[in-house]
Amino acid sequence: MTLTVGRDVAQTALSVAADRTSILSRNIANAQNPQSSRKIANVVSIPGSGVRIASVTRASNDSLLEKMLSATSDAAGQKAITEALQQLDQTTGDPALDVSPAALVQKLMDAIQQYAAGPQDASRASTAIAAAGDVATGLNEATTLVQQVRQQADADMSSSVDKLNTLLKQFDAVNTDIVNGTRIDADVTDQLDQRDQILSSISEEIGIRTVARPDGDMAIFTDSGVTLYDAGARTVTFNRTLIYGPGTTGNAVLVDGVPVTGSSGTMLAQSGRLAALANVRDNLTVTYQSQLDEIARGLIEAFAESDQSAIPTLPDAPGLFTYAGGPAMPASGTLIVGLAGSIRLNPTVDPQQGGNASLFRDGGIAGAAYTYNTTGATGYSDRLQQYIDNLTAQRPFDPAAGLVPSASVGSFASSSISWLQQTRQNASNDADYKNTLLERASDALSKVTGVNLDEEMTSMLDLERSYQASARLMSTIDTMMQSLLSITVAA
Amino acid sequence: MKTTFISTSAISEATRVSLIKLQTQLATAQKEVSTGRYADMGVSLGYKTGQTVSLRQEQNRLTTITETNSVVATRLDSTQSALTSLVGDAQNFLGQLLGARDAPTGPQVVQKQAQTSLSAFADMLNTSIDGAYLFAGINADVKPISQYDQTPPSPAKQAVDNAFFATFGITQNDPAVANISASAMQNFLDTTFAGLFQDPAWTTNWSSASDQNIRSRISTSELIETSTNTNESAFRQLAQAYTMVADLGTQNLNQGAFQAVVDTATKIAAQGIQGLTELQSNLGTAQQRVEDANGRMSIQKDILTNHISSMEDVDPYEASTRVNTLMTQIETAYAMTARIQQLSLLNYL
Repeated sequence: MTLTVGRDVAQTALSVAADRTSILSRNIANAQNPQSSRKIANVVSIPGSGVRIASVTRASNDSLLEKMLSATSDAAGQKAITEALQQLDQTTGDPALDVSPAALVQKLMDAIQQYAAGPQDASRASTAIAAAGDVATGLNEATTLVQQVRQQADADMSSSVDKLNTLLKQFDAVNTDIVNGTRIDADVTDQLDQRDQILSSISEEIGIRTVARPDGDMAIFTDSGVTLYDAGARTVTFNRTLIYGPGTTGNAVLVDGVPVTGSSGTMLAQSGRLAALANVRDNLTVTYQSQLDEIARGLIEAFAESDQSAIPTLPDAPGLFTYAGGPAMPASGTLIVGLAGSIRLNPTVDPQQGGNASLFRDGGIAGAAYTYNTTGATGYSDRLQQYIDNLTAQRPFDPAAGLVPSASVGSFASSSISWLQQTRQNASNDADYKNTLLERASDALSKVTGVNLDEEMTSMLDLERSYQASARLMSTIDTMMQSLLSITVAA
Repeated sequence: MKTTFISTSAISEATRVSLIKLQTQLATAQKEVSTGRYADMGVSLGYKTGQTVSLRQEQNRLTTITETNSVVATRLDSTQSALTSLVGDAQNFLGQLLGARDAPTGPQVVQKQAQTSLSAFADMLNTSIDGAYLFAGINADVKPISQYDQTPPSPAKQAVDNAFFATFGITQNDPAVANISASAMQNFLDTTFAGLFQDPAWTTNWSSASDQNIRSRISTSELIETSTNTNESAFRQLAQAYTMVADLGTQNLNQGAFQAVVDTATKIAAQGIQGLTELQSNLGTAQQRVEDANGRMSIQKDILTNHISSMEDVDPYEASTRVNTLMTQIETAYAMTARIQQLSLLNYL
């Protein structure tokens, strides 16, 4: 062991201290960056010649990351559903506002009751007709809104797919860097952070599982098992549907040619925004629309007219309310998709469309044979009382609407509100729960992989001491050298 | 090697997240305190929202029926008062008839009285409220009875004139009516004249009302008749009694024929009064039912209001306590955030 060796060892200590300081600075600089993990310099001793930095690694925890990714998918999906339901809620609003289809039907019934109390009064007739018009318009507008929500969900799916493709490309670039860097033993920790960041963005769009390979490579699968990335990005494709009507069926999202949304696939995505949006587009809105359609059908039935001739020959026909399929009656107890969009006030009875308002009281909206008030007496209220009886009578509804199979129009409309609000309440509770899970998962991950400034400060003190000691060592060796040299000169 | 299990960003993130949560809760609680109801009814009530909507529907329905019941009650009250005054008139007339039967100036007096009563009778039956004639049944916009004495002569008057001329060969104003015997007059009154007040003559010449009375829904389940019409026999009988005294040449009749007219009129008017009283009691039953229904519905509405508020309203004390607690929590969170930010090893190096 010579003095020069001692000096060299001190020098390696100095350079390691410098390298560690630079890593420490990187950590401090990223202390507030939640995506960045703590970098660690691994120092090894070289037998006989000091120390060196063998590699730079980062604090990581794969199981916490995996948990964080799945929590992200769930939270993002639930958020999409909650937002869509919030929009659907506009069709009912606060019960006190009386804007729901149920409230509009009730208002119509009230107006009919008022009309029946003064059947000769033309102003009561027009109030009742206006209330009937409000019901039809309310159902039409609700249909438009529901279809807008579907269209919006479809558009969101399309942008989600675009984003997913971009993310997969970015993932490909970073992943290649990592694989190459790992082979030559370079510091790839920043790239690893970046890759985790991309993974978390991908998991917002669709639920994923990751598989790590030995050389730093990583493969991504959807939570249903379809390959998203394996040694190269797979393409995600989706054909957007631009215009939505009640009967429109949206296209499925394909990953690598395999459908991950829709009703027919066997590998459908379980979580993430894409799955949630598909659920909104294909299930929630469709069910709600069918409930609106059934309300509309119930109304058409309740106001239908039957042939009043001595020997009735004509079939029943739509009265106050008619629809696109008129003048035939819709089949009883059978859902007609989109009926709520096409229900309208019969022009024959609507004064604003040139109709005769008193047909509302007398019958005969569908034709002269259907006239109930044969004498033309202006105080006739029997037909009006019949309307009220029909509105409160039980009638069959299609079980496809997901509600009671038999109810009055008003209570069917109320139970539709119950369905919507129950779904909303569940979604909102779920969203709270999933968000809390995500917070906990991110918190746990950040605690394990994040930077603690106090810890860095403490290491900085250590580094400072170690630098001072090495420097002192060098100066001592220098002094020793000096003494040695002066002895030589003196001799 | 990681030695600590808390990162700096986790600390600041935790305070940030909890502050956001508290502030969101505060906004909701504030809204609930100021409105007294849940901030988001659907999310708070879930499937029970449909129930409160149904309760509100029921409440609106009862309110509307109560409103329309006041229309019904007004009609019934007016009908009752019209009937009461018809009964009064008829009783007066009856008294006059009894007094005039044997008095020498009787014929002139009762004839005048009968003409006035007949005109008042038509006026009363033509009362209308809110554009609808009270006694027209469902023929609400048509005057139920036309005035007997008018120009041009009413169909009723023409029918009486024709019948009189066909039977006796002279008009009522002819002084020769004095020659009509009591039995001939009695026969005329019982057959031809009485026929003028039966269907179809009555509905052709006198009444334009419908036999069908107005029916009203006075509660969610009760549908009852709430009017009467001029085709009821009581009105026919009164019209018959008034007309026979007013327009059968009463002033010139001989004593026997006059007494036959007076006796028949007395008998028929008495029957008419009896009939009116029956109508009044029927309508009185309807009035009673309306009143009962209103009473029941008002109790039901109170119950519904309570139900709705028990579902939709928040406990105001709980809500305001919640606001206070949240404000304290938020203040504590602010203080903590400030203290934590100051907490750094740097200050001691």
